[in-house]
Amino acid sequence: MAGTRLTGVAASEGVAVGPVFVHVVKELKPERETIPEGEVEEELGRFRAAVEATAEKLAATAEKMREGGSEKEAGIFDAHAEIAEDPELHSEVEGQVRALTSPEAAVIAVGEEFAGMFAAMEDEYMAARADDVRDVAAQIASELMGGGPSGLESLAEPSVILASNLAPSDTARIPPGMALGFVVSGGSRTSHVSIMARSFGIPAVVGVGEEIEDAFGAGVVAIDGTEGYAVADPEDDVISDFEQKQRKDAAEAAALEEYKHADARTSDGRRIEVAANIGSAEEAEGAIKWGAEGVGLFRTEFLFMKRPDLPSEDEQYEAYRNVAEEFGERPVIIRTIDVGGDKDLPGVDQPEEENPFLGWRGIRMCLDVPELFKPQLRAILRAAPHGKLRIMFPMIVDNVELRAAKEILDECRKELETEGTEYGEVEVGVMVETPAAAIRAADIAPEVAFFSIGTNDLVQYTLAADRGNERLTRLQSADHPAVLDLIGKTCEAAREAGIWVGVCGEAAGEPALIPRLVELGVAELSMSAPSIPKAKKIVSEL
Amino acid sequence: MVEKEATIVPEAGLHARPAARFIKEAKSFSSDIFVSKDGQEVSAKSPLRLMTLGAKHGDKVVVRAEGEDEEAAVDALIAILSEEEEE
Repeated sequence: MAGTRLTGVAASEGVAVGPVFVHVVKELKPERETIPEGEVEEELGRFRAAVEATAEKLAATAEKMREGGSEKEAGIFDAHAEIAEDPELHSEVEGQVRALTSPEAAVIAVGEEFAGMFAAMEDEYMAARADDVRDVAAQIASELMGGGPSGLESLAEPSVILASNLAPSDTARIPPGMALGFVVSGGSRTSHVSIMARSFGIPAVVGVGEEIEDAFGAGVVAIDGTEGYAVADPEDDVISDFEQKQRKDAAEAAALEEYKHADARTSDGRRIEVAANIGSAEEAEGAIKWGAEGVGLFRTEFLFMKRPDLPSEDEQYEAYRNVAEEFGERPVIIRTIDVGGDKDLPGVDQPEEENPFLGWRGIRMCLDVPELFKPQLRAILRAAPHGKLRIMFPMIVDNVELRAAKEILDECRKELETEGTEYGEVEVGVMVETPAAAIRAADIAPEVAFFSIGTNDLVQYTLAADRGNERLTRLQSADHPAVLDLIGKTCEAAREAGIWVGVCGEAAGEPALIPRLVELGVAELSMSAPSIPKAKKIVSEL
Repeated sequence: MVEKEATIVPEAGLHARPAARFIKEAKSFSSDIFVSKDGQEVSAKSPLRLMTLGAKHGDKVVVRAEGEDEEAAVDALIAILSEEEEE
């Protein structure tokens, strides 16, 4: 339908206009459930041929990835090829085919059986393998039904990709440069597809809903990932509108390119470190591409959400180590878990609270629940030798809390020492996000290596204005004298104690506020990665 | 039949890359080869079964082989489990 407008979540900035490529994830239904008795051998032959074809395609994709320098992705496809050729998978399918189940139904069922086994395993890494098995089983089944995979890997013309969902194996299959943008019916800003779009630097609109099907027949789609909408078969004036936006974005990006990987320095020579806020290990690579000089805030909550139990120390160690290795010499500040009554935490009995933001949250909860806190601290200490890690405690109000937290950290060090487990040193800092911590920053400063101001909460607590209340927008910015005073006070206390101050809230990436923050003495700005080039430019012009 | 015990040295355990090497090696022998952990035994030639063991760095596993090249198979596989993964 000409001019159909799809609206959704603005998941990755930018605009694009291009031909449509529809990636349909067909619900995998076997064509036949059973087969006649006389055809067992013939069907087994077909199954073996399908396995071979699938494994060959997977190996070819791995090869292509490797040539393109994507070693990590290549490894995924190697593993998938191994799974396709698994002798146990074959013997299970063979058994079912001999019992007259069709091979396509059998391979889906066996794949599902293994997937169920993995999904039940405690290790997050293993649980995620469930999707790998399903993915491979589905490819063999569609090969059997004459379909083969969707063709994302053979995309030869740069296109806007429309899909109900895009799995990691889907995005990895797209040849470099062939995706102009993603429009997806499900998902959120933190879905895999959104993260990938941001790290590819292409626009994405997600969560558009079932209306996406109206656009499947379109020839061309215009997508605006900054505003969060897409237009199917746009009229000429819409196209020229988009082209204008594109030129503007391109000009802006080109103007920023020279700043991206440069050090930000003010005209009087002050060096300002510009870092990224990340919410998962997956985002690390993209952040570096945007020019991040480190991670100023690694939110660890993602490890704890959407699961029935607490993540093990080993699992956390893997995640922290991955990010540490990705950043190498560049520092990564890990904020210890910061949840409260507004988010549920598996395994922790959280009473219903009237004011969750003023309740049992962040460091308060961690100090009370060592089985939550200690595995995280131990995991960070163990990951420390693999990079340059720092620890930051959230929601600190005074030294009583800080000292208690540091004491637990010490206990963890001693335990690791006694066990003979390898660990490394980490600097300890405090997230200044309560007015109390800012007002008495001079008390806290001598006991830490750095401060990082969390402006989002500092604003909400200082101006007594709920972050989510739409009627209070005037009171939701750090650009308020009361907040700026507290930031100034924090910087002053830090200067006297000889420690540095960073800012890791939204304010750090706000063009209008950056000059103020730098003037007040902030030495590090940490923001969402795409804001980095612009922030560096602003600093350089001060 | 030959069987030997090893403590897994590669950091990633029997996941991902070390597993791929391990399976490739296992497949190069004609013997039937099995790996067991905590009494659960699986085929060393099946990545899927191997993954269900969830064998991690530091875990103890037993490699058992039966066939013409059983001796060489067990030695080769134990060696993979006992050395740091090369980058």
